Order: sequence, then structure tokens, then C-alpha cells
Amino acid sequence: MIDLARKILLYDKLRFFITVSGVGFAVALVLVQTGLFLGLMDNASITIDHMDADIWVLAKNTPNIDFARTFSDAFVNRVRSIDGVKRADNLVVWFIRMALPNGVQEGVEMYAMERFKEWGMPWEVAEGQLEDLKRGRFVMLDDSATKRCGPFAVGDYREFIGKRMKIIGRTKQALSFTTAPVAFTDLRSIQALTPELEGQTTYIVVKLNEGADRERVMAEIRQRLPHTDVRTREDWSSGSRNYWVTSTGLGLQLASTILLGCIVAIIIVAQTLYTSTMEHLKEFGTIKAIGAGNGHIYGILARQATIAAIGGAVVGAAITFALRPVMMKMDLKLLIVPNVWAMTFVGTLVFSLSASMISFRKVAKLDPAMVFRG
Amino acid sequence: MTVLQANDIHKEFSEGEDVVSVLNGVSLALAQGEIVSLEGPSGSGKTTLLSILGCIMTATSGEVVVEDEEINTDDPRVLQEARKRSIGFVFQQYNLIPALSAVENVEYALNIKGVRGAEAREEAERVMTEVGLGHKFHAPPRDLSGGQKQRVAIARALAGRSPILLVDEPTANLDSQTAEQILELFRSLARSENRAILVVTHDPKVRNVVDRVLTIRDGRLCN
Repeated sequence: MIDLARKILLYDKLRFFITVSGVGFAVALVLVQTGLFLGLMDNASITIDHMDADIWVLAKNTPNIDFARTFSDAFVNRVRSIDGVKRADNLVVWFIRMALPNGVQEGVEMYAMERFKEWGMPWEVAEGQLEDLKRGRFVMLDDSATKRCGPFAVGDYREFIGKRMKIIGRTKQALSFTTAPVAFTDLRSIQALTPELEGQTTYIVVKLNEGADRERVMAEIRQRLPHTDVRTREDWSSGSRNYWVTSTGLGLQLASTILLGCIVAIIIVAQTLYTSTMEHLKEFGTIKAIGAGNGHIYGILARQATIAAIGGAVVGAAITFALRPVMMKMDLKLLIVPNVWAMTFVGTLVFSLSASMISFRKVAKLDPAMVFRG
Repeated sequence: MTVLQANDIHKEFSEGEDVVSVLNGVSLALAQGEIVSLEGPSGSGKTTLLSILGCIMTATSGEVVVEDEEINTDDPRVLQEARKRSIGFVFQQYNLIPALSAVENVEYALNIKGVRGAEAREEAERVMTEVGLGHKFHAPPRDLSGGQKQRVAIARALAGRSPILLVDEPTANLDSQTAEQILELFRSLARSENRAILVVTHDPKVRNVVDRVLTIRDGRLCN
């Protein structure tokens, strides 16, 4: 069958290009904003997601992984003795001031444990050995610290709250939503560094035995440590992300952008199809006079909307991919998630088809007798 | 054999609070192989009658019979099916689709009538050749002369083998030589293809090729 929809669209190539570009930019707007949002959210829980812990014990009302509160580090023993617990350790997450060579002070988010390796943390060590952290006042700094703290090399010294520590390693991909550089040190080191952390921890991380009943263990922990919160990894991860969404207005900003992108796409497709339909009204009348029904006509308009949506989605995807390395250079993570792309494409298609209804209403009411008029 | 019949057709339109009678008891019959012209001054009801006979519009009262089937309904689907099955149109302004080539315009009409693929392409090329445009298959309408566009429009109406052709002012936009060629084409098609052709026209030259002339005035046939 002759593809009249495609032929009419491509007959005016400039208009088609403008339409597809417009839809493409709207799609790119949605994808880039969503990608940046997901990238930020990824940072908000990246350490939780990578740590090999099934349960997290935290001080009550701790809002997210970064804004930790302290409780006794001796509580870990109460957790270790619970049946089903394979291992449990203290984890301190704390903001520490670091002095740069030029004297400027920068805040660093320090992660401190006794046995990082068993917990899969940090998950990408580019230089150095994690075991060496226990051997002295040593620290591993994440590569992302370069942006705010300047370049550094393994073997360099930095002052943390006025005390010299040696950088013995470099990690990658350890990030925080706060954008503060992330560092790793031994638990005893940070407790010695910061008096308020003496005898304290901010989290207890728990790994269960194979087949252990997580809910039962959590109930037991709650009973033994009634003044703490006990969360699953998934719950704590989503909770940390949700904090930033709700407290910063980020969620609202993203929703507004997505809505704007959708409206732009609908308007562009509706306007293009409508003006094209009006210009081709006589042809639609002729087609009806020849014997086509409204269903046939809607098929043409729907196909035009679909072609515009697919073309726009491809252009939008290309723009987003092209922007990704540019964003990376600015230390902005643009996450490309198949689900989001699928939803954006389906959404574009649905909105385009909805927009075509405006044209269809015009053509459905068309009097075929108009073909006899000059 | 009669393929198109109109019996006591009345048509009224509402214009505000007024009711205007456009057709006042028109009856006619068209037989296979016959070519008939319908003449009349502007406003006499020609186009309205053409629309009703072509199942584009329904009469206020009266009946239209197409190939022995009474078409007397406001159901757009019934009207649409009748047009698809039995009627080909040739419009005064040709009404070709500019985004399609000449042969694609014809082929698309066949697609609407349910003929697809190679069969549609072959039939389209056949009727294009029959109307003398075998060398213009792939030309877009903008590259065709008025007479050539009219031939494409005729080919489109012929495709699908509709027994009835309704033609609106076929020579209105043509020079006299081309108009004569088109009229001769109609005459030969009526005979060779055994189609019933009704031509609405102001052009007296049409009388040279038709079997009968009907005159309409103030919504009534005068003969």
C-alpha cells in the first residue's frame, strides 16, 4: 500500500526537519534532565548500593548517608551475637576539614572502617592497598577530589583537622551527593583524629548468613538496640535518595522539566500536523470521496504522528549521547537507563498520537462534498 | 442495464431560520455504456445532485439506487461503501495528491478500494496507459499540464472498475483542443469500458459526445 502518511510528511522536507528537531529537543530536554537527576541520585546512595551489607543500623532520624549521627561503637557486639548474622562492623561517615597545599580548607567526607575489603568498599581502587590503611595515619582519596582539592599523588601528605596524614591510595567512583570529596581511612584513625568520635560510630553494617531470615534479624536488632533505626539496604538507599528529592525541591524541578518537555513535544507535533492537515484538507476530502473512511484517515494522521515521534526520539537520543561526554567533563553524571529511555519514547509516541487527534477532529467533520468546490 | 437511479429526490438546507429547497423532485436513470450530461446555470442544484448521486450526501427525501441497491441512509459507512464499490469521481480541480506521482495517485485510489501490492500497481499502469499517459507514470502532478492532470484524474476514477463515473466540469480549466481530447476520451471509455458516465458541465462542446442531455433549473429537471 502507498505510504501516504510518509509521503505527505516528506513532501515538505523543511517542515519535517523542523518538526523532528523540535520533538528531538523536547525529548533531549527530558532525557538530559532525567539523566542528570538519576546521576545525582546515584551519587546519593552509591556507597550504600556498593557496600555488601544487608542491613544498616543507624541513629534515629538520620536523614541520609551523608548527615550521620553518632552512637556507641560497642553496640556492634550486640549485633554480632544475633543468630543469622555473618558479620557486623562499625562504619563512620563524617565530614572532616582538609587543608590544601595552598592553605585553603576543604570539607572531605571520610569513610572509616576496620575491614573495608570484606564489605566491598571502596569498590574501585586505582592505586594502593586497602590493608595498609590500618598501618598508620593513612588515607585513600577518591580521584574526584582533584576537581575541588587540586591534583594529588600517592605519597603526598595532607592535613586533616591540623593532623598530617599520608595519601597511600587513590580510588575511583566514590561520590557524594554533597559533592564533597570522599576519602577512606581506618576506624581508629578517624576516632583519634576527632575527639567527638571516640567510642562512637555512625553506622553498623550487617551481612547475613545464607538463608537467614532478614526480618527476624532486624526485629532482634531493634529489640537489642531500641534507640536506633534498622533499615534494609534497599530501604536505606531509597531513603537517602528521597531525602534529596524532597528537601531540595529537586523532584519538583525534574517533574516541571519533564512536564515542560512533554508540553513542548505535544505542541510541536499538534501544530505541525494541524497546519499540514489544513493544507491538505482537499486531499483528505478527495480520499473520503473516493471511499476512505474516518479510520483510514486517522491511520494516516497516526502514522504521521508516529514518524514524527520516532524521528524526534532518535534526534533526542543523539543529542543526549552527544552531551554525555560534555557533562562528564563538568563532573556531571548523565545516567542512561533503558527504562527511562523506553518510557520517554513511549511517552513521546503517546503524546504525538494524542496531538494528532486535534487534526483528526477537523478531518472527521470534513464534508466530502467540499471536493466539488473550487 | 440501469446502474444508477434517482427517484423523486428532494434536498433542503437550513440557512439560519430559513429552509432552502435546492432539489425539488429530481428523477433520472443512467445505464451502462451511456454518457449523459447535466447542464444548468449556477445555483441550479447540479453539484448537490451530483453529491447525492455520488453517495457523498443524502437526500432529504427520495431514493438513490446504485447497482440495484437502495442507498437511503445517513449512515456514513453505508455511503462510504457505496462510493468505494460503485462510483468513480473526476473533479473539476483534478484534486490530485501532490506528494504522490501520477501512477501513485491512481494506485492509492485502488488501495482505498482494497486492491494492494503488485495487482494495484499493474492496474494503475494499465489505466494510465489507457488514458494516454504511459510515459508519465512517475511524474509528480506539478510537472503535468492541465490536460495531463485531468487524464490522471480520469485514470484514478477508472481504476477499481467502478461502473459509474461522475464527472464535474471536466473541461473548465482546459484549452479547447485539450478539452476535445478529454471529451473524446470519455466517449471511448463509456463504450469500451461499458461505464455509465454523468458529466456536469457548462460547456456546450460536451453535447457532441453525450447520448443525452439533462437540464436542471431551480432544482428541477427540465427534460
